[in-house]
Amino acid sequence: MTFPTGTPAFTLEQVVVRRGGSVLLDGVSCRIPGAACTTVLGPSGAGKSTLLRLLNRLEEPTRGTVSYRGGPLPGWDVLALRRQVTLVAQQPVLLTGTVRDELRAGRRHLSGARLAELLERVRLPAGYLGHATADLSGGEAQRVCLARALAVEPRVLLLDEPTAALDATVTAAVERLVRELADDGVTLVLVSHDTGQARRLSDLVLVLEDGRLVEQGPAGRIGRLREGA
Amino acid sequence: MSPAVPSWPGVAASAALVVLTVVVARRGRLGLTRDITVAALRAALQLTAVGAVLLLVFRHTGLAGALGWLALMVLVAGRMAARRTGALPGTFRTATAAIAVGTTASMGVLLVLGIIATQPRVVIPVGGMVVAGAMGATDLALIRLYDEVRTARPAIEARLSLGLAAGDAFAPHRCVIVRTALLPVLDSARTLGVIALPGAMTGLILAGVDPLTAIRYQIVVTYMLLAAACLAAVVAVRLSERALFDDAHRLRPLPGRRPSS
Ligand SMILES: Nc1ncnc2c1ncn2[C@@H]1O[C@H](COP(=O)(O)OP(=O)(O)OP(=O)(O)O)[C@@H](O)[C@H]1O
Ligand SMILES: [Mg+2]
Repeated sequence: MTFPTGTPAFTLEQVVVRRGGSVLLDGVSCRIPGAACTTVLGPSGAGKSTLLRLLNRLEEPTRGTVSYRGGPLPGWDVLALRRQVTLVAQQPVLLTGTVRDELRAGRRHLSGARLAELLERVRLPAGYLGHATADLSGGEAQRVCLARALAVEPRVLLLDEPTAALDATVTAAVERLVRELADDGVTLVLVSHDTGQARRLSDLVLVLEDGRLVEQGPAGRIGRLREGA
Repeated sequence: MSPAVPSWPGVAASAALVVLTVVVARRGRLGLTRDITVAALRAALQLTAVGAVLLLVFRHTGLAGALGWLALMVLVAGRMAARRTGALPGTFRTATAAIAVGTTASMGVLLVLGIIATQPRVVIPVGGMVVAGAMGATDLALIRLYDEVRTARPAIEARLSLGLAAGDAFAPHRCVIVRTALLPVLDSARTLGVIALPGAMTGLILAGVDPLTAIRYQIVVTYMLLAAACLAAVVAVRLSERALFDDAHRLRPLPGRRPSS
């Protein structure tokens, strides 16, 4: 399950993504470590979501290569890849009628105990299993989507602004979960606007601006994180 | 007593109705005089031409000619359905294939089981109804498909992100699309004979067939329309899916907006 420490989970080489007339990512090269937490920071429209979507092949680079565990992505069976590298989108999208069905969207057979455990991990009461997804608040929906992704037991979890819709208490809980997962050997890549969160959580920070990677390094060495400190 | 079917002088006299329409339009200053006249003349000429060609086919070509005629109708119908939803890639081929499958299956069953005669005078009008039914369903399926893909992209990508194959990620949407495409046929089957006498039955009754015989035809027509619409809608969606997703189970970006009908 876990990566030997120090081995990159992903390697990006000179990745360019062009859509229509615009350049979304412009020559991005970096390594994303396995069994660690990496945060992608940057202003709105910088290309953070695009970078995340490249990693599970929802997006294809126009030029350059993305590799996972040493092999270029197109060489992987894409369905197997997505079961290992699961994305939780920026906007929570619920797919079914009840929370129970929602958790089973990616993996049909889950025991009652497993369902309860998944809800507990995202700090939702077990009684929520029978709830209608239409009645969930934005923050609850976000956490159900996270639990739904955890259900497929991914090696890599891509989280696009996982705490944007959450209050301080639940944010702290989700941050604890992220750290727990990273310590368990899951590779996390998360997108954030929040420099404080990046500092608290990440082993590595990537800073995107206007499609370019302008800074990368451990949280402590990122200039704009120190400024904010 | 007047004949059940109008004579040529009768048809000429019915032009009085066009004159009446024109008078009303002029009085109301609707500015439609030209449109009405052209439409009326066009209907007469088009129908006369079709009648003449049908007469030739009935008299001289047999089943082969009738099937050729149907094939032509399938192509025309494919074009019509594709024109309304041209924003999806490869729609003409998709629509034509869908209508062809629906038509072939329905007509195949009717002919092979000997339910209807193999004469052109039967195959062409019945086939025409089948093609029109298949076209309506294909049309609706493609329109709904386009809207569905636009609005449900996040849901489809969420399923793909969980490792579902393109076909599985699209399955709930496929159901919605096919259901929508079948609604009109189902509705009309439900209200058959209650709200309006359907076309085939009306025609037979006008031609002097007694109602209990006419309904036999209408029952067959209803079943064949259901089958044609259902098959056409399913094929249209399945074929479109291939164009919507690429080899990496990725939902392609949709080109521009849907051209209005
Ligand atoms: N298919 C597309 N065609 C053209 N431009 C696009 C397309 N998808 C995204 N963009 C643009 O690319 C830029 C980067 O988008 P992206 O979603 O990666 O930004 P982001 O960093 O995640 O922003 P935010 O923090 O607001 O979520 C944006 O300006 C966006 O409008
Ligand atoms: Mg984003």
